Amino acid sequence: MLPLPSFQYEAPTDVVEASRLLSEPGSQLIAGGTDLLVSMKHRLFEPRLLVSARRLGLRGISEHAGWLEIGAATTLHDVARHPTVLARLPALAAACRTVATPTIQTMATLGGNLMLDTRCMYYNQPAGWRATLGYCLKREGTVCHVAPKGRGCYATHSADTVPALWLMGAEAEFSSARGVRRVAVSSMYREDGIAWLRLERDEVLTRVFVPLDTRRVVHRKLRTRQAIDYAQVLVAVAGPVSPGGTWTAVISSVSSSPILVEAASAAELSEAAFRACQPLSTHLAPATWRKKMVRVEVARAAALIG
Amino acid sequence: MSENDNRPAWATYPTHTGEPAEGGVLGRRDAKIDGRARIVGAAVFTDDLKLPRMVFGKFVRSTQAHARIVAVDVSAALALPGVVGFATGAELPKKYGVIPVAQDETAMAIGKVRYIGEPIVCIAAVDEETAHRAARAVRVTYEPLTPVLTIEQALDPKMPHIHEASRKPSNILRRVFQEYGDVDAGFAASDLVIEDVYEYPGSTHVPLEAHVALANPEPDGKLTLWSSTQNPHYVHRDVAHVLGMREQDVRLIKPAIGAGYGGKCDPFCTDIVAGHLARKLGRPVKISLEREEVFYAHRGRHPTRMWLKMGFKRDGSITAIDFKAWADGGAYASYGVVTSYYLGVFMPLPYRLENYRFESHRLYTNKPPCGPKRGHGAVQPRLALEMHIDRAALQLGLDPAGMRKANCIEAGSETCNGLKVTSVGMRECIDAVVAASGYAERHGRLGPGRGLGLAASAYMCGALHPVYQNELSQSSVQLKVDRSGEVTLFSGTADCGQGSIHMLAALCAERLGIEPADVRVIEGDTALTPVDLGSYSSRVTFMAGNACISASDRVRERLASAVAAKLGVESSALSFRGRRVFVTSEPERGVSFVDAVWLAEEMIGPIGEVGGYKPHKIGSRFRRQSVGPSPAYSFTAQVAEVSVDPETGIVTIDKIWVAHDCGRAINRTIVEGQIEGCVYMGVGEALYEEQRYRGAMMTSPSLLEYKIPTVHETPEIETFIIETHDPNGPFGAKEAGEGPQLSTVPAIANALYDATGVWFRQPPFTPDRVLAALSRKVT
Repeated sequence: MLPLPSFQYEAPTDVVEASRLLSEPGSQLIAGGTDLLVSMKHRLFEPRLLVSARRLGLRGISEHAGWLEIGAATTLHDVARHPTVLARLPALAAACRTVATPTIQTMATLGGNLMLDTRCMYYNQPAGWRATLGYCLKREGTVCHVAPKGRGCYATHSADTVPALWLMGAEAEFSSARGVRRVAVSSMYREDGIAWLRLERDEVLTRVFVPLDTRRVVHRKLRTRQAIDYAQVLVAVAGPVSPGGTWTAVISSVSSSPILVEAASAAELSEAAFRACQPLSTHLAPATWRKKMVRVEVARAAALIG
Repeated sequence: MSENDNRPAWATYPTHTGEPAEGGVLGRRDAKIDGRARIVGAAVFTDDLKLPRMVFGKFVRSTQAHARIVAVDVSAALALPGVVGFATGAELPKKYGVIPVAQDETAMAIGKVRYIGEPIVCIAAVDEETAHRAARAVRVTYEPLTPVLTIEQALDPKMPHIHEASRKPSNILRRVFQEYGDVDAGFAASDLVIEDVYEYPGSTHVPLEAHVALANPEPDGKLTLWSSTQNPHYVHRDVAHVLGMREQDVRLIKPAIGAGYGGKCDPFCTDIVAGHLARKLGRPVKISLEREEVFYAHRGRHPTRMWLKMGFKRDGSITAIDFKAWADGGAYASYGVVTSYYLGVFMPLPYRLENYRFESHRLYTNKPPCGPKRGHGAVQPRLALEMHIDRAALQLGLDPAGMRKANCIEAGSETCNGLKVTSVGMRECIDAVVAASGYAERHGRLGPGRGLGLAASAYMCGALHPVYQNELSQSSVQLKVDRSGEVTLFSGTADCGQGSIHMLAALCAERLGIEPADVRVIEGDTALTPVDLGSYSSRVTFMAGNACISASDRVRERLASAVAAKLGVESSALSFRGRRVFVTSEPERGVSFVDAVWLAEEMIGPIGEVGGYKPHKIGSRFRRQSVGPSPAYSFTAQVAEVSVDPETGIVTIDKIWVAHDCGRAINRTIVEGQIEGCVYMGVGEALYEEQRYRGAMMTSPSLLEYKIPTVHETPEIETFIIETHDPNGPFGAKEAGEGPQLSTVPAIANALYDATGVWFRQPPFTPDRVLAALSRKVT
């Protein structure tokens, strides 16, 4: 079987201590570990020290002044079945339920999903396979095999909960020994497959805040199989706040950062999304088909809003 | 069955005494006697075994598709603390392989590598992580050679030979050409000729358990090897051969197996190198493949290009078939010689055909070796044949179901290529699925985007001839009867999940009038169990089942003679049922089974018997027809209902109706499980599974990206068991584990035509392919 590399493990009980440990070279935060441990087995990460989020007290959901506060270490399973989430934020519940499998949702955390590494068919592979390939720009290599003549890394943002949270106006709280900051989920990411997160290495995502008066959002995930798989196209769509207002979509799994698209009507929204997205070919689907699916999925999400 | 009345003598030759079943076990839905152990996690698999001082082996694998090995530097690996030794390919120079005429494989590469992922060196260390790190520290220097990656390149005489000793003009392992009747005259007499090309992709088995071997050097110089193999006998032979040991000095034990589907039919590097390293290091060695390595071990479905030309009369009868196939076989032969025959020999089933010609090529390429995957070699051509049948029916204005039934062969008939068919339930199978699915009323009438498709198929029940020439039993079973009443059954079979353990227990229990749970089955241990050739070619129920009945009947005779003497009746007056032996005409007069054992042991001595089976030499008209003839053939019909999303091209399989002629269901639940398993794998091959390459690199050697269906993608499956009571099968049984694999993909392809008006001739039917075809059709 595929062994995990050896590592040290700490489970601090306060965020400042966790932040201090994370500031040391070779350390890595672990929450549910459902993605990280696979990547470690693939030798994408060989951390000296894993700093666990388990005992940081970041698990739980509560309401304060019109916001739902979700501890970053709350499992996707717990988020998806929380009564307020189900009643007021059904798109978030739906998004949590599309991650991997029900079993994995009992380990995977909302914070982990927001921090999910970008993915690529040349990157998420076992060590021997990547060695045969000659490695890639994101890890150990110098060439991006997706775009050998390009300068960047095209690894894909693939976090299922992000488009819905983005449209809901959710915010994320980061803590470190240096203090606390709170940012919009929409500002967390950037179009760079290697440095896709705007984050310092000693920062810990502690809480996610979702406004309860959010617009109605529809989440859709197009994937090959109805479990396990990452998205071929991931969309969240929100209708106008008032009649005649703007339709909005966030599309993910087609680039290194989610893409925001706005339009005056549902029909224009799907066309604008089609034009805005340039997905790459995956193992099973050519880029041309995925691009067409952006239009289909945005249109279908918009139709559900009505 | 009335259809059996006119059978020739060879079709009615009884294998066993032919007594009617009386034990009350047959056809029940008992839980497998070994089922609970698997469900609760108590079954012991090879990787569960741990021995004192055990070390772990890890392979260094080729990063080149085709290259000379210039140098191998293991010094950095050996310098790591915890590394205890290594082995190279040169230490194991003897070639091996199950098929004697095509032994071209060594346990690890010697001098050159032939595919990415081929093992070169094995490093042993005290734990798996250290072995893994050490393997990554080995430096191999290569001198690249031109890789041969496609069918065209393999046929090109200008390309380098992958196997330099080959005398063939290009990278051809085997060309097969057979012709029966007058094919050209057949086409001349036809009213309709359909000719087309089909591409069937490569796919792999995905057993949940990876290949694992554990070897222990014994103090007396012998070797014990535990292996997750479907074929203990062949592994036993080849491991002894390569290690230069006497076969009797190697003990091969097959623990519980986490499935095989044909992927564990070969001896693997794990088996041979674990054995070698254990002897070299003087301590137990375990080698457990990673999932990625299982993809490189492969032996999966051959990617196959096919050209099929068929002639038809207006009434739908087939006047001639001309068929060509090219199978991209990867770097080694494995069972490829057999594949080259299986691609063609089953085409004359189940439809009447006098004029048939086929030519197949099994080719070498610089990719992981293909081999036997469920429905070996017969799955690919069946897609072409069954799509041709539907196309002909539509062009001739005939009902596809009626046309198939009208052309079915009869029991007791011999095909143009000499296959002798003893029992046929083909029409009953078609009737069952047509009636249940409403095919007659609904086919062609579901409207756009929805469709129904029918396909039929036939498969073998074990090969008439063993893969290495011998006149010995192909299956044997030994029984020991304890005075407690427990019956211990020893068999060299390898239950890989298909239920052969329960099958043996049930047949023994049926003959002895006891319960399957009263039979303890010890299987797959060369020190304890008599030889069985293994779990391949759908042979186990037919052959080991017959051997089991033979041994059971000998025990039964012993017990009957003792009880008869005690009761003062003839042996023939006795029945065995309900754990009793009693006078058939006076059921209250009898003894318990345990008392019968006591009586027999008092009168005769300890009770132990052996039974063997080899097929009767029903032979063939054709001297060279060594591959294809089987003691019996199974038949399947399926109807698939599909929906196609016109915007995404996504195909949903709504339901599959499947009817299978298994001869006789020994355990109905297990038979249904086998049939459903075939349909499930067919759904995977129809919609998702394809081994894709980036040059010579397999693009997705992982279970995340090589997609097999989950429960969500698995359609409702309605299964019908058709029983034809084959005259030579154990209580009439045939097979159920592979035959239903053949007709799933063609049923789906025919349903896709019904839904879209497009003949999809290349699985998998992925959304992008379907959408592209739909848009071409519109424009």
